[in-house]
Amino acid sequence: MSEERRDDAEAPEAERAFTSLPPAPRPRIPPVTTAKAPESTRRGLVASVGASTVQIAQEVGGIVVLTAQVLRALVPPRIDHRELLKNLYKMGNRSVPIVVLTAFFAGGLMTLQTGPFVKKFGATGLAGWGAGYAVLREIGPILISLMFSGRVGANNTAELATMTVTEQLDGLRALAIDPVRFLVVPRVIAMMVMLVALTVIGDLVALLGASVVGRIMLGIEWSSMYYSFADNLKPFDFLHGIYKSIAFGAAIAMSSCYFGVTVRGGAVGVGRAVNAAVVAAAVSIMLLDFFLTYLTG
Amino acid sequence: MAYIEWKGVDKAFGGKPVLRKMSLAVNRGEVMFIIGTSGVGKSVTIKHLVGLLRIDAGEIWFDDRRIDQLSERELAPVRRRIGMVFQSSTLFDSMTLAENVALPLRKHKQLGHKASLAEARERLAQVYMQDYAERYPAELSDGMRKRAAIARTLALSPEVVLFDEPTTGLDPVSARRIDRLIRELADNLGVTAIVVSHDPPSIFGVADRIAFLYRGVVHVVATPAQLRASEDPIVQQFINGRSTGPMETPGF
Repeated sequence: MSEERRDDAEAPEAERAFTSLPPAPRPRIPPVTTAKAPESTRRGLVASVGASTVQIAQEVGGIVVLTAQVLRALVPPRIDHRELLKNLYKMGNRSVPIVVLTAFFAGGLMTLQTGPFVKKFGATGLAGWGAGYAVLREIGPILISLMFSGRVGANNTAELATMTVTEQLDGLRALAIDPVRFLVVPRVIAMMVMLVALTVIGDLVALLGASVVGRIMLGIEWSSMYYSFADNLKPFDFLHGIYKSIAFGAAIAMSSCYFGVTVRGGAVGVGRAVNAAVVAAAVSIMLLDFFLTYLTG
Repeated sequence: MAYIEWKGVDKAFGGKPVLRKMSLAVNRGEVMFIIGTSGVGKSVTIKHLVGLLRIDAGEIWFDDRRIDQLSERELAPVRRRIGMVFQSSTLFDSMTLAENVALPLRKHKQLGHKASLAEARERLAQVYMQDYAERYPAELSDGMRKRAAIARTLALSPEVVLFDEPTTGLDPVSARRIDRLIRELADNLGVTAIVVSHDPPSIFGVADRIAFLYRGVVHVVATPAQLRASEDPIVQQFINGRSTGPMETPGF
């Protein structure tokens, strides 16, 4: 095949900057050099730090552009109901078992860790508070978001990325159907709604897990655990976790959709996109968690 | 003025020019074939018409309106009038064939779910695919997918249909049926068809006119008979499929 043939095949990707989709970051491909190693490694370091910075800026910028497009597509809110329902079911319902399993043991773990100290000081009335406070404010939202990102976000990136490399997104555009409105918006809504719902379920299951482990392994009475929850936990502790999960849901949804629709370069590109999406989601979750906790106490 | 016109279009990929001041005019209701070697810019040429690619310089006109500078939103009405059948079919693999064809009907003709599926089955029957309406694209052969993709594009009854290698990968019988379909669209419904093809029976059996793309420009526009009779050595080498001759074939 000729060189020009390859150009032909790359064409739709090279053009993404002009389409409705945000610009894709350039893949990190080292320049092909036949010359000797660079004169100074220091310059190489500076160059690579610079290149990484530019790439991260591009990715953040692209996610911001996509977010703006999603918000614009919501006015007027003509959401494809079939796509939305399909995604709500696929992303939400099917995640319940894994969330229940991890939340139960995470809650139990809190009691297990604090239990010996609580017993040592005879303060079993505080066991529920310790476990509940940690679960509702931190462990619940963080753990469930990370699970959700690994299960749902990665799956979503892979699906969108495969659609992109097989020109299915161009197929939609050629049918005068906006891929952002038709594919991205329902997915973003589904992910945000379902992560909040799963966090609520996860919180309840984690508290149950904490109580069960406390009863069985540390002999803390059900009632003692219950009053410890009821007396010490405030509605705000629960809400604090919920609004975190809204922010995490947005971060997972936007990074997963962004890397999906801006993928380049076939199967290798799909793998790279999934990888980038999961890493970006995890980093954003941690950063958002820190700042949200700092700002709201 | 012609119905569809490319005027002095430039397009480069990664600094490498593919189209250089390319001009071509297509009349309403005609079947125009675009032929040329792989990578010469045939697909690129037609993708510009629906805004999937943007030109670097020049102008593109459709029905007395300049369309190369339209935004993605402004292009939507143009795309409803100009349908495109992709080389790789681009069916949505999470949907059955019927759902694929029903999607544009549901989105643009405001049909309900059931009504759109019923019409989709009729559209599939046009390309002899009615028995596969409930199958997913991954379960079917390339040729079947291509036929379903044609049904999906025709669902919106476009005025212009762009076919990117519609018969490539099809068995000869299916290929001739697609040829007949293209001819019937033009003859019975007045549809303008622009077809990118390498398939000689299609080219000489269906085309009203043929544009031969070479080195980034339209080298010749001619009727099939004129093209056959052409004494241009490059045209002769291409239509006779000779491996040696004056033609530049980058990469070989």
